[in-house]
Amino acid sequence: MMSDAAAQSTPAKKPGSTGSLREQMWRYRHFYLFISPFFFLFAVFGLYPLLFSLYLSLVQWDGLTSPKWVGLQNFTTLLRDEQFYRAIWNTILIGVYHFPPMFILAFVFAVILNQQWVKLRAFWRAAVFMPAITPMVVIAFVFFILFSTETGLVNYLYTGALGLLGIEAAGVPWLQNGTWAKITVSILLVWRWTGYNMVIMLAGMQGIPGDMYEAATIDGASRWQQMRYLTIPMMKPTFIFITIMSLIGTVYMFDEVFVLTNGGPGDATTNFGLFLFQQSFQDFRFGYASAAAYSVALVVFVMSLVIFRVGKKGE
Amino acid sequence: MVPTILLVGLLVLAIVLTWLPYVGLAKPPAGKRQVEVWSWTNAADALSGVSEEFEAEHPDLDIYINKNGSNLQTRLLLALSAGSGIPDVSQLQEREAAKYTRTGRLTDLTDWASPYREQFVPAFWDSCVYEGRMYALPWDVGPCAVYYKRWIFEEYGLDPWTIETWDDFVAMGVELKERSGGKVRMLPLSEANLIEMLQILMQQNGGNVFDVQGRIVLDSPQNRQVLALMRQMLDTGINADLTPYSPEWEASYQTDNVACYPNAVWAVAALKQAAGDTAGKWGVFPMPAFEKGGIRTSNLGGSVLIIPRESEVAEEAWSFIEFANCTVEGQIEQFREQGLFPALITAYDHPYFDEKDPFFADQAVNKVFAQDFEKLPTMTRTADWNEAQAYLGRSLTRWAETRQDNGAYLRGVAEALGRKVVREVVPYEELAAQREGTDESGPDDE
Amino acid sequence: MPVTAPKRKGTQGAVGAAGSTWTEKIVMYGFLAISAVVFLLPFAWLISGAFKTQAQIFAPTPTLIPPDPTLENFKTVLSDASLPRAFFNTTLIAVLHVALTLFLCSLAGMAFAKYRRAPGHGWLFAFVLGTMMIPGAVTMIPIFVILAKVGVLNTYWAMIIPGAANAFGIFWMRQYITANVPDSLHEAARIDGCSEFGVYWRIVVPVIQPALGALGVLVLISVWNNLMWAFIVLRTENMQTMPLLVYLLQGEYQTPYGLIMAAGLVTVAPLIVAFLLFQRAFISGVTSGAVKG
Repeated sequence: MMSDAAAQSTPAKKPGSTGSLREQMWRYRHFYLFISPFFFLFAVFGLYPLLFSLYLSLVQWDGLTSPKWVGLQNFTTLLRDEQFYRAIWNTILIGVYHFPPMFILAFVFAVILNQQWVKLRAFWRAAVFMPAITPMVVIAFVFFILFSTETGLVNYLYTGALGLLGIEAAGVPWLQNGTWAKITVSILLVWRWTGYNMVIMLAGMQGIPGDMYEAATIDGASRWQQMRYLTIPMMKPTFIFITIMSLIGTVYMFDEVFVLTNGGPGDATTNFGLFLFQQSFQDFRFGYASAAAYSVALVVFVMSLVIFRVGKKGE
Repeated sequence: MVPTILLVGLLVLAIVLTWLPYVGLAKPPAGKRQVEVWSWTNAADALSGVSEEFEAEHPDLDIYINKNGSNLQTRLLLALSAGSGIPDVSQLQEREAAKYTRTGRLTDLTDWASPYREQFVPAFWDSCVYEGRMYALPWDVGPCAVYYKRWIFEEYGLDPWTIETWDDFVAMGVELKERSGGKVRMLPLSEANLIEMLQILMQQNGGNVFDVQGRIVLDSPQNRQVLALMRQMLDTGINADLTPYSPEWEASYQTDNVACYPNAVWAVAALKQAAGDTAGKWGVFPMPAFEKGGIRTSNLGGSVLIIPRESEVAEEAWSFIEFANCTVEGQIEQFREQGLFPALITAYDHPYFDEKDPFFADQAVNKVFAQDFEKLPTMTRTADWNEAQAYLGRSLTRWAETRQDNGAYLRGVAEALGRKVVREVVPYEELAAQREGTDESGPDDE
Repeated sequence: MPVTAPKRKGTQGAVGAAGSTWTEKIVMYGFLAISAVVFLLPFAWLISGAFKTQAQIFAPTPTLIPPDPTLENFKTVLSDASLPRAFFNTTLIAVLHVALTLFLCSLAGMAFAKYRRAPGHGWLFAFVLGTMMIPGAVTMIPIFVILAKVGVLNTYWAMIIPGAANAFGIFWMRQYITANVPDSLHEAARIDGCSEFGVYWRIVVPVIQPALGALGVLVLISVWNNLMWAFIVLRTENMQTMPLLVYLLQGEYQTPYGLIMAAGLVTVAPLIVAFLLFQRAFISGVTSGAVKG
């Protein structure tokens, strides 16, 4: 703190008089200069689109003819659009199916790989993280092959394993049945994001000072107690971060379902991200899509705040 | 100074970046004007074939066929709305044409095309017209029939040619399943994807989504009948659970598990590619009718060609699509090579229709596909057809899985769709009364 | 297992304690081994699929090692002139986008870390964090319209510029610079006559290299793999990126899986190599980066 003030070689003046504010701003001109590219880009690719989108949500526009003002009609239609609710419901289900296993797995991996005595740590870490670096468009095709009902490896192993137990079973309709398709998408998500979240958790864990564990050990705390009363509470900010990111990621997920199921069978795996794409780029309803995007963004924002608040409260 | 080097570097980079997008663009050979055409799969190949002859006649033109992958429609929309990267000619599904014809973004073809009016299938011609002006040219149509595996029917001692109605079809399916001990299924039909079958049957049965006034007439006796038939196919278990065009579907061409495939004529290209050793052992019989004496065909797919307004070579583009689509030779060549069934009626008299196809054990299958086609009821397309198809496609799986009542299902979709696209919904009772009225006035439409 | 726990001797704090029992070790290594197999299996399938024909890929009995490996897929994919170009495009876009993002983020990050007294610092920073909440879905259509109006659709600019203002990156850089570049160092450089940009270039950048590396990997992954935006803004074949090329191999009715696997392998390989080479640096960069809410 002091060094900062000292660096400017002026004793801290009380801000208030306009002259001093001007002086201050001139003195810190580099601050503004250095952050200006961000704000310029943000104005063009963030603020303006945000306002434009708001305008779009009040018009009917197919991208080809000129927009037609419809006021709030897009929003009232949205409130009664069955497909919209289905997309939201699917999003929730996929979120519920994939988040807990992914979160727990990521945590377990992080805990294990944070132990220095574990051999081959770099290898395990790389193996688990690898899915996060692969393009979804490629891997979704691979999953399509693996989860094929008739010829896929997964059903082959499944029926084979049951066969060994003397049970004859039909293959699971991984991509043919609505519920199973959601589960398949969830498996893809777990596979894809566990490593990513593991690394973030590792980062969080290494931020916990080592002497706290020493103190806990001296006090005779067991490993489970250390986990319960030290690691988990200290990890709370990381957990909040991961939860919010996963929420956003699930709502706006696109590549995964676009390639693997294209939202099917029927609309069983059409999440909100794909719904938006369909409304805008397949049905040409840019106004309607903007209204939907705005509404959901608001809900996501509120939910994020709630998660943040609830998470902070526990501290 | 470092900044100077940096600045120069950035400048060079900027120039390179601006210039590179033009490198490697498909450029016409020197002195030629290029006509860029967007099309998909075998349709693109068909046009490529014709373009060589066209170029020979027009040495100043270079036809560049861009064989786009999936989602061509979305990419065309993006190009049109961005006003850049727009092709000179593009393929569109016939059912989607109405979405574009009303936008004023397409070249008005009326003056060029009107001389051909009498020569095209009327239902398709109508889809190209908006407020009396013509904005698209019909290309191919998708008459339907049933592809079948001769060897299977022979093995189980059944004759598919005795089938006249869908009831016969289902009955034979049940018989086939029994005789084969459950191994052979009559047709592929997956609860996961029922929309194609629905479209085929709906059009055959004179069902519609919209009427000519643009009202929603989904919950009609005709459509309920269609759903009842589809449910029967699922309930009797004569179907194999195969998603259309999936690898498993293609693999099934070679197996003994599926006996026949009701589908459009254009499916033949993919069938021949994937049939392997079974080539020569296939046959085609006409679509079963809903009632004895009813029409024995339907339509699925089919496409039109458009010229965006922005094209600078619209006239040249027209001369190419005129060459390809408005001449018997052009249409027949595309049909022969790639199975694109002509929308040009005058082509139907061509001797090629009598030719025997060795793939189908020397059966003249094109005759079968042409049967009754002129009697086909029209589907009323509107700008909202895509939306309607999406609503149906996305909800049919649930209809099948939850065994929803046909009437309740149709009413539900009609109402949801009506809310979304703001159109009036005509109730079932009114449509039923209408149908009885026409039945009484003329019990035999033919 | 928990019974034995209290008897253990605690060692180096944060990294936990050594000396689990044999059963624990077996369970743990077993778990790790199975997980590694599961996580790596799709990659094995990708590689194997690239050497199979369509029929072999969907053979009734799945095999990992192709019974009769074919190079046809690679021949077809590589003979298509658009693949080398797509690879070049992807590389160019990725390199420039990563460089631009790192530059902007670290510069703004330094500003937020070091000029805490500047008027408006607090609310400007809050504003930057707030922009993280704006979903891409809302801005996608307008950005497309802007790019169309400016006339840069189907250029590299359309892929490089829009995502470069990365609020998360700024936040991360600020945290890292606050923790690792002491004010005294900044001060000393200034006394030596360094300009403010000189301080950034000669003092801050060298110190924050681990964080730059880690952020760079994350940005690289997302730009290299970006399908949706490429699908929307890139029009012509000569501008395709690898993910777009792979996606468009899919026809309207048929999907050539062998080709897709081969092209997919070409897409994935550079990332995997890059990751394996830099994984230690990457992990340490991420974990030292104080990614805390």
